[in-house]
Amino acid sequence: MRNNHKSSIINHQSLVIGWLYPELMSIYGDRGNIIVLQKRCEWRNIKVEVLMLNVGFEKNQLLKCDLLFMGGAQDKQQEAVSIDLHKKRNILKKLIESNIPGLFICGAYQFLGQYYEESNGNIINGLKIFDIFTKNGGESIKRLIGNISLTCSTLGIRLLGFENHGGRTYLLQNAKPFGRVIKGYGNNGDDKTEGIIYKNCFGTYLHGPILPKNPALADFLIQKALEKKYGTKITLKKLDDGLEEKARITIAKRLSVEI
Amino acid sequence: MINILLIFIGKFISSISRTFNLGNGSTWPGHIALSINKNFITDLLKTSKTNTILIIGTNGKTTTTKLLQTILEHTGKRVLINSSGANLLNGIASSLIIHALLNARIKKDFAIFEVDENVFPAAALFIKPDFVIALNLFRDQLDRYGEIDTISKKWKDSIKNLKNTNLILNSDDPQIAYLGKDVENVNYFGMESKSLENITLEHSSDSLLCPNCGKKLSFSAYYFSHLGKWKCDNCGFKRPSPDITHTPFYPIPGTHAMYDVLASVLLAKKLKISNKVIEKSLRSFKPAFGRQEIIVSNGRQIQFFLSKNPTSFNESLKTITSLNPKNLLILLNDRIPDGTDVSWIWDIDFEKLLEKNTKLYVSGDRVYDLALRLKYAGISRENYKTFENISDAINSGLTSTGANDTLYILPTYSAMLEARKILTGKKIL
Repeated sequence: MRNNHKSSIINHQSLVIGWLYPELMSIYGDRGNIIVLQKRCEWRNIKVEVLMLNVGFEKNQLLKCDLLFMGGAQDKQQEAVSIDLHKKRNILKKLIESNIPGLFICGAYQFLGQYYEESNGNIINGLKIFDIFTKNGGESIKRLIGNISLTCSTLGIRLLGFENHGGRTYLLQNAKPFGRVIKGYGNNGDDKTEGIIYKNCFGTYLHGPILPKNPALADFLIQKALEKKYGTKITLKKLDDGLEEKARITIAKRLSVEI
Repeated sequence: MINILLIFIGKFISSISRTFNLGNGSTWPGHIALSINKNFITDLLKTSKTNTILIIGTNGKTTTTKLLQTILEHTGKRVLINSSGANLLNGIASSLIIHALLNARIKKDFAIFEVDENVFPAAALFIKPDFVIALNLFRDQLDRYGEIDTISKKWKDSIKNLKNTNLILNSDDPQIAYLGKDVENVNYFGMESKSLENITLEHSSDSLLCPNCGKKLSFSAYYFSHLGKWKCDNCGFKRPSPDITHTPFYPIPGTHAMYDVLASVLLAKKLKISNKVIEKSLRSFKPAFGRQEIIVSNGRQIQFFLSKNPTSFNESLKTITSLNPKNLLILLNDRIPDGTDVSWIWDIDFEKLLEKNTKLYVSGDRVYDLALRLKYAGISRENYKTFENISDAINSGLTSTGANDTLYILPTYSAMLEARKILTGKKIL
């Protein structure tokens, strides 16, 4: 049935992006990631709908989504979100296991891990989807702040961004990092790993936001979402990324790295 | 004795740096004095009869300082202020050095200091102020200040330890109103204006949770960002009823500036200054540099709207778009005073510019990040030009600005200093 209509479906592609907790988990210009996904779809005539999934949302809403995004927040906001998110854990886990593409930044990245250890030793359970855990060293430990560059071998790209996090994240056995740190701190400032790749989902500390200066990652997410939805290989139309390139060069020069 | 020497040295350094236009005379003398005597500020204020006022908040410190100075000087009072941007302890100490007599006495009736968010606890400890005005708390330069909950906690702790201080607080900002909870000698300023009320929340809003219990607040109206009429349905903590909601005159446009005026007038009233004098002084008010300041260069008018964070940038953009601008120059730097993290530009509603036919010029250290933001706001490529050099951007903007038109400039802090220097040939700091 799908295959018979493939060509006409492909001409009228559409995606639903699920934005988890835009009201409380939106700091560090997280909205920029959504804007970039939206525009890069629009410029290719792919229709986009963004579902705003705020605290208390009906969990079946998640089943409508082709792509997931969730940003970071301050501690207090995260507590409020945590209760709601745990109620939706199983459905979220199922979606991720079935290869839905997703991007989880900073606080969201930590949430999806096994646990979060507070500075007083208190353990907060994570959603146990990513094989990571995070430790908060307390106020005496310095925050990891600054421009960052990393290489992601899975996508074959160099990423540039800005990180600002107090927590140190560690990968457990079998977890695959998002990238290798070239300049900057990454997950914990020690082991040169940054973020995680799990199925088609990315967890990362890069904000800035991440997607405007890394359009290849935005396109990867869009492509995977379309391929999963339409069950066929998709090649995205090329866009003019001249300005993106110039913005990348600015940061690469600062860090004395190649772009 | 040591203080007298420090003042002498400080005055000497300050006069040299002014003579040679070195541009750092407003912090160095104080820096040296404090490194030799850490109680320098306390010592100097102890021996004088100067009333002290500290002004804190993310946005509006400089404007509020200038408003109060204007009102107080109108009543014949002698007023000392720290220069804008010099709002760390070294800047405060420097302003005392500049105004002290050589016997280490301060012959001023009032000292008004705008104080950096992180420095407030130390400043409060050394100064033991007679008044503290707290204006607002917005997300600002996360790389430097941290998250706003951290700052508000520091402020709350510090205020608890102040004994004879009068607090002038914004009732409409939940985090600020919280500073007055269970504390004596508090007065509140707030807005009461049906025409300015919004029922929906703007995107770049920060304080949605109750500062007392952490549950979600409910708002019956928003004035701008997260400022409005709020209450907590969980613990019952709610917007205190303001002692002042109107003033006789507002000298600067914009909702955010109305709060600065309300705060200044409330303090003036506490000092028993008459309405008549207040109104007269407000009518004579001239904005502080970079804050809606107008400069004329080659017969063309240039107006600055210094913007340092999402809230002030969005407010400035609202004010500028309401003026139907033909030419707008936007400058984004990412140095320490601007914040090294520029992610906040994605929280600015540049989409507002879509309906306008404004020619845009963008420049600064992060010109291409800014250009990307405009691109993704859907602004067509012909409508904005990028310049790696601020001088070139200013020249291009001025060339397109007609004799009776204004070139609007929306800069971050260090970009404002740079642009202003290019236009006036003079450093400020």
